[in-house]
Amino acid sequence: MKNTLKQVFHSSKFLVGFIIFLAILLTMFIYPLVNPGNPLQMIGVGTFAKPGTYVSLYDATKTSTETLRLPDADEKRLAKLLTNEDRVAMVEWFTAMQISVEGLDISDTDAMIDLWKANYDPAVKPKGMTQAKRNYYKRLNNSIAEIGAAETLIITEKNEETGELEEQGKITKTDYVNTNAVANVKRLPLGTDNFGRDVLKELISAAGTSLLIGLLAGAVATLVGLTLGLLSGYVGGFVDDIIMFITNIFTVIPGFVLLILISYSIGQEQRGATVVALVIGLTSWTWTTRSVRSQVISLRNRDHVNLSKLSGHSLFRIILTDILPYIASYVVMAFILQVSSGILAEAQLSLLGLGPRTTEVPTLGLMMNWAMLYSAHTNGSWWAYFPVILTITLISFSLNLMNTGLDQVFNPTLRD
Amino acid sequence: MKNLKKILALLVAAIMICGAAAFAEDVNLPREETLYFAGQQWGTVNSWNIIGTNQNNSMAIAGGASGYRTLMFETLYMYNFMNGEIIGLLANDGYEWNEDMTKLTFSIKDAAKWSDGTPVTGADVVRTFDIGVEIGNGTGTGFKAYIASIEADGNNVTINAAVNEEGKPVNPLKVLDFLTGTPIAQAAWIDTVVERNGGDAVSILNDAGEDVVWSGPYTKYFADDQKVVLIRDDNYWGQDASMWGKLPVPKYIAHAIYADNPAGENALKAGEVDVCQQFIGNVQNLWLEDGLPISTYYEEAPYGVCLTMPTAWYNFNLPVLAENPALRKAIAMAVDYDTIIANAMTNQSPSFSEVPRSLMNPTDGEQALYNKDEVADLQWAGNDIDGANALLDEAGLLDTDGDGIREFNGEKISLNAVCPNGWTDWQASMEVVAAAGKNIGLEITTLYPEWDIYQTVFTNPNQTEYAIYMWSPEAASPSNPWTRVNQFMGSEFVGVENNWSGNWGQYVNEEADALLKKIPLTTDEEELKGLYTELTKIYLTEVPSFSLMYRPSLFHAVNESVWTNFPAGDDGRNIPPADCTDGYGIAALYELELVG
Repeated sequence: MKNTLKQVFHSSKFLVGFIIFLAILLTMFIYPLVNPGNPLQMIGVGTFAKPGTYVSLYDATKTSTETLRLPDADEKRLAKLLTNEDRVAMVEWFTAMQISVEGLDISDTDAMIDLWKANYDPAVKPKGMTQAKRNYYKRLNNSIAEIGAAETLIITEKNEETGELEEQGKITKTDYVNTNAVANVKRLPLGTDNFGRDVLKELISAAGTSLLIGLLAGAVATLVGLTLGLLSGYVGGFVDDIIMFITNIFTVIPGFVLLILISYSIGQEQRGATVVALVIGLTSWTWTTRSVRSQVISLRNRDHVNLSKLSGHSLFRIILTDILPYIASYVVMAFILQVSSGILAEAQLSLLGLGPRTTEVPTLGLMMNWAMLYSAHTNGSWWAYFPVILTITLISFSLNLMNTGLDQVFNPTLRD
Repeated sequence: MKNLKKILALLVAAIMICGAAAFAEDVNLPREETLYFAGQQWGTVNSWNIIGTNQNNSMAIAGGASGYRTLMFETLYMYNFMNGEIIGLLANDGYEWNEDMTKLTFSIKDAAKWSDGTPVTGADVVRTFDIGVEIGNGTGTGFKAYIASIEADGNNVTINAAVNEEGKPVNPLKVLDFLTGTPIAQAAWIDTVVERNGGDAVSILNDAGEDVVWSGPYTKYFADDQKVVLIRDDNYWGQDASMWGKLPVPKYIAHAIYADNPAGENALKAGEVDVCQQFIGNVQNLWLEDGLPISTYYEEAPYGVCLTMPTAWYNFNLPVLAENPALRKAIAMAVDYDTIIANAMTNQSPSFSEVPRSLMNPTDGEQALYNKDEVADLQWAGNDIDGANALLDEAGLLDTDGDGIREFNGEKISLNAVCPNGWTDWQASMEVVAAAGKNIGLEITTLYPEWDIYQTVFTNPNQTEYAIYMWSPEAASPSNPWTRVNQFMGSEFVGVENNWSGNWGQYVNEEADALLKKIPLTTDEEELKGLYTELTKIYLTEVPSFSLMYRPSLFHAVNESVWTNFPAGDDGRNIPPADCTDGYGIAALYELELVG
């Protein structure tokens, strides 16, 4: 046993797969300790907040400040309010209004703004200008107004009794706060999803659920496949005919179609994560049966099996002690592949809206389903679906890598 | 041999490409003369029969919530939901009621003509109503309870309202709905259809009506499973000075049939669609981030005019809901509406703190119809978990076995929250309702059946499968808000099979019924306000249903790559954002301009 393990871990493919898988598993256990709470909690009001660090503005205004005189601060502020495209658009407006722009330097902010303030009128409708463009100029006008805003902002609070505004503090352009000092800072490395949930937290919890679904589905499929394969291969004859008849029927019907039909007919109310896992398991056992059977057929006339038979050992004892150990490594590999395909099947089902019912547990497929329903792929919210795809890929990649590694160790024809 | 195969493959590919190109060129519409739509037509057009039923012909035959679509078939009057005006179309401006509101008179415009050149007369109006009652189409079933008969003398028409035992009209508001909501069909054409179907009601209703006669500015040009195109009728009577004085600007009205919302949205982004009647999440990103020439009716949230309120209805066939007003109110109080509005509607709706809940939509006209101070204590803005828990505790709905779920009569309270699959914003709303249940010790699970199944279940008056389910009440018409309030609480719909009309929860309240009967006959504004306030009190106390958001009945996002001068909130023209086609919204088509 020790020797086998040593051999297995010598395989670089297995090792890489194992490390990736272990890393995913560890994250799943450690992250909830660091960031506890319900992964389905809707913290954001609104859809698809971008990844980043969110600082409470309310708390920040009440945090003590440091004065930093950064040489490029004004420049950055200006660039944010008035881009080069905006400047070009301003010139377009002047031209449309037949205002002379001769000698106007587009990079001369003051001159541009003066000319703008002297001439812009939101009520004017230049001929042929679309509503969308006029709305743009209104927004631009607001930005320009901000450029000229006062050096100091004053924070006021409304006095409950008198109703008057009382000054509470001032903010100047050189005031900075240390984010560590602000009471509420929320890091959302992967932003929020369409419900305003923390995607990273949800993703890690979903990976766990999906892995459980995969394990359960894989276990069911392997168990069913193994049992039928052993019986069919060892007993042979009529039993073999019957089992192979059933297996062939199931092989002919495409597994995924069967899966869709069963999931649909179960109905959403009954479709918990466990039920979905069982359904996946019960529709994907056929190839395990076939390959176990063929392995068993090649084993059943070996000398040690015949010896066992002559000794009068029972059917189950022979299968368990004389046959199973010889195909154990194969079964483990089959199991790993079943887990991997179980995870994929759940994702596919959920993407079609036939996965586990929502609101209870997050799964990778459900995350994809909601991201797609909310057109995350067309509105540029990559963080809502891309990390999910990456996670699914990593899990099945690591499982497949481990499988290939094991294959190299156990399969004599592949052995170096 | 190998080469031969290659050549053959190339040849086949070339033929296929040529074939596809030839097919695509089938109807080549000049872009600068065509106005493209999205969000109305979702399948191959099946009928042009204006007096039939089961049509899916959304561009030509559609009674929208904001007025009838008058591209091809016209109504007597056009409704403008922006100011409540009723503007003459086939009929002259200014209809008149007699003193006790039992008779309404108006006259047909002299200029009004059918497409075959014959004049539109009062006889056409009479025949349209009579055939409707006879064969039971939408016009007939919708109005026979309110209109006893219609008489015509040349171009002068008199509508005799149906009267009750006391000799008072049943509902004058509904008579006004007839004026703005019923497309008039030609009497002679109706006779033709009746004759060729041997007078059989069912076959008349299902007649395809390919030979239909119309009065509107557009008519059918092309329709298949890819698109439907209407072409301008350059002989349209409306270019007479007594109506528009000109023809509508676009020569073609085209609607490609898209597979789903994202497909239509992408076409809008690409400038292939000019007017898009689809919900687009975070619509402001289209111009703020993508810099596209797209705009909505208002530049700021809520971007459109919210006229309706998608509502969650409680099923009164289930004892647990019927017998526990506290449970109904508690769920409604616990729901986080701000999340629904921000997530499901991406803020294209005012919140319930901005427009407190009542029976009214957020328009100023309706908001002025009830006394806000009197019901302020009864209103809730949502996400009030403590309040909801206290209410349930007080009502004795407790969790006695400690499993975290409250019980009623010894059974744990387990409800489902249902809406059709694929209706994304509604599904998200139901998720939020289910999450609220978790917070107040109720088991609420979401369920999204396919539309075919959903529609048969929720319109069945005896169903016990769905506990909380969504549907929208009426948006805007001359008879609103009465019609909507009646949908919320009127018992006339209770027990009606195949109920598409109202009160989908089967709620009965005699007091509310009595108040609802009085409103159509009340003209005094203060008295009307009193009645609506009483009804609002009953509604907010009994909570037979609860609205989840406010919502435009039609979405209005326009891409100005080709066309411009679409109606906008600040342009002072008062043309409603009704897809440029519905009610007075069609006025927009006469004022469009090409960009540049």
